[in-house]
Amino acid sequence: MEYPLTRLDDKVFSLKKASKKALVAYLVAGDPDLDSTLELMHEFVDAGVDILEVGVPFTDPIAEGPIIQAAHDRALKNNTSLNDIFKLVEKFREKNTETPIILMGYMNTFLANSLALKDAHISGSDAVLIVDIPGECELDEMGIKNKNLASISLIAPTTSEDRISQICSSSSGFIYYVTLRGVTGSSHLNIDEAEEKINFIKSKTSLPIFAGFGIKTPDDAYNLSKISDGIVIGSSLVEMIHEESDQKKFKKIYNYLHEISEAINQ
Amino acid sequence: MDNLTNLPNSDGFFGEYGGKFVPETLMHALKELDETYSKLKDNPKFIEEIDQDLVQFVGRPSPLYFAKRLTDHYSGPQIWLKREDLNHTGAHKINNTVGQILLAKAMGKKRIIAETGAGQHGVATATVAARLGLECHIYMGAADVERQSLNVYRIKLLGAKVHAVDSGTATLKDALNEAMRDWVTNIEDTYYIIGSVTGPHPYPMIVRDFNAIVGRELRKQSMEQFMQFPDAIVACVGGGSNAMGIFYPFLEEKNVALIGVEAAGSGLSTGKHAAPLNDGEPGILHGAKSYLMQDKNGQVIDTHSISAGLDYPGVGPEHSNLKDSGRAQYIAVDDKEVLSSFHLVTKLEGIMPALETAHAFAALEHIAKNYKSDQHLVINVSGRGDKDINTVATMDGISLD
Repeated sequence: MEYPLTRLDDKVFSLKKASKKALVAYLVAGDPDLDSTLELMHEFVDAGVDILEVGVPFTDPIAEGPIIQAAHDRALKNNTSLNDIFKLVEKFREKNTETPIILMGYMNTFLANSLALKDAHISGSDAVLIVDIPGECELDEMGIKNKNLASISLIAPTTSEDRISQICSSSSGFIYYVTLRGVTGSSHLNIDEAEEKINFIKSKTSLPIFAGFGIKTPDDAYNLSKISDGIVIGSSLVEMIHEESDQKKFKKIYNYLHEISEAINQ
Repeated sequence: MDNLTNLPNSDGFFGEYGGKFVPETLMHALKELDETYSKLKDNPKFIEEIDQDLVQFVGRPSPLYFAKRLTDHYSGPQIWLKREDLNHTGAHKINNTVGQILLAKAMGKKRIIAETGAGQHGVATATVAARLGLECHIYMGAADVERQSLNVYRIKLLGAKVHAVDSGTATLKDALNEAMRDWVTNIEDTYYIIGSVTGPHPYPMIVRDFNAIVGRELRKQSMEQFMQFPDAIVACVGGGSNAMGIFYPFLEEKNVALIGVEAAGSGLSTGKHAAPLNDGEPGILHGAKSYLMQDKNGQVIDTHSISAGLDYPGVGPEHSNLKDSGRAQYIAVDDKEVLSSFHLVTKLEGIMPALETAHAFAALEHIAKNYKSDQHLVINVSGRGDKDINTVATMDGISLD
């Protein structure tokens, strides 16, 4: 294997070398506020998170269930912009230069800021995951011209075998497998179907495959980690952040993530 | 001017607009729909089935009617009305749902979902679903449920379930968000009947094609009734399906002016409106690239219009392409103009237009003077106004209780 060059490849490589499963954690920037988001990002890493997925709020997030939608709304009430998020990442990098950061959001906010995205890697972002662009699309064809950002693509249970091959060939970093038919935070997890699909994806790419959407308990996490290279947790974290946002004490979240981290590497 | 008729291309683009910007889970369903439609659209049996429904169930063709007193009032062109308000269920929306429900049937889907703003598309969808005995769910912004209570009740009477959507601005765009989320979740057994020429490919094409019956009839009727094609066709534009349906068969007739009328709400200069083609920027919403009401950060901004059916921040991608190419012209009229036009048309012609449709009539105040008495202008009367009498009464300060 060629020695990895980017922070994301580096992380993926070292996890693989240590035979560890990746824990990817999602939160929405600006919910409840940007200072808390910064604190939570560090807290996540302390609890065992390997990769951070920072949600870029959008007015019309069509792939999100009610929990994450509400978080997007709260973040927008605080006027959280993509530029604020670049600054947030820059601040995070003052203390942490190792944990990869993925910006996850919707095409319109990225397009509106396509100029600023040119410098996104300089302020410390490593990848983008744009929920509403077809996975076989090349980002620079879409007007997002930054070769230093990896492009994470989603593969769903409904994705055809032809498309899987296409998507794999235009992806970098890792493949994000959506474990269910539904929006984020749903509960239709089907492990058998996921296993079959993930095995097929493995035959098409050497990129690691992380599974997400609908993981709530350490048991869910454990079961999915057995068939994938890592897992993504989102809605349940966003819900806890909201529950504890009054006191801004996030101990419960730390414990939860720690438990998940243990579960996937037992 | 480029060829405008053979669009979209195979990726679903009208020039730079359109496309398929959706979560991955939906990509397969869109492909399946595209394939089904491509296979069926030229199939004689499928065409015959739709034609029969349009004649016997919808009541087509809709008349082309000469509006004599309106013509006298403006002393401009001869004003003709394409009477889509006379269709079964009271608007052009049924043309599309009659077609799409047959696609759903062909694909073996058991469950129908749709979004609605003014409620006309909800009624038209619930109607065709009832006829085929299919389970039907209609998503509607909570604000629209309030202002279109008559149509909400009609939808319920037809056996469909109405889901009031509280998120975001609680209007049409949020109903669309929620319908898409339902579709992502129930993708295997559910067919989503999108109600306008919006959304991801192939919807803008399919909805346009099913509505193009309006323009095709007009080609024939105008020749029979005034021996030429119209000099101008005027239609209101929200998502833009009634406009696209009447414009499309005339795209190559360069002497026919195509005029779309958007909702200027409280006025274009106030920012409180729903006129993306007049005062928006290209962006991506609900699966397609098109003109969009958005702020500098790419967030979709709240819209305002007296008419629930036009209260939408986006517009069909084909309209964006027609605007940029110059083939169609898009103007906007505000709520006050619309209300006075509603009263004028009702009193002069005995026809009560929907508030959406009243936007097209209100445009006459601006454009009638540009035409001479030997010219012919056609207004697409996209729907009837019974559903809006509560709104009109409130605006006029009258209580109906």
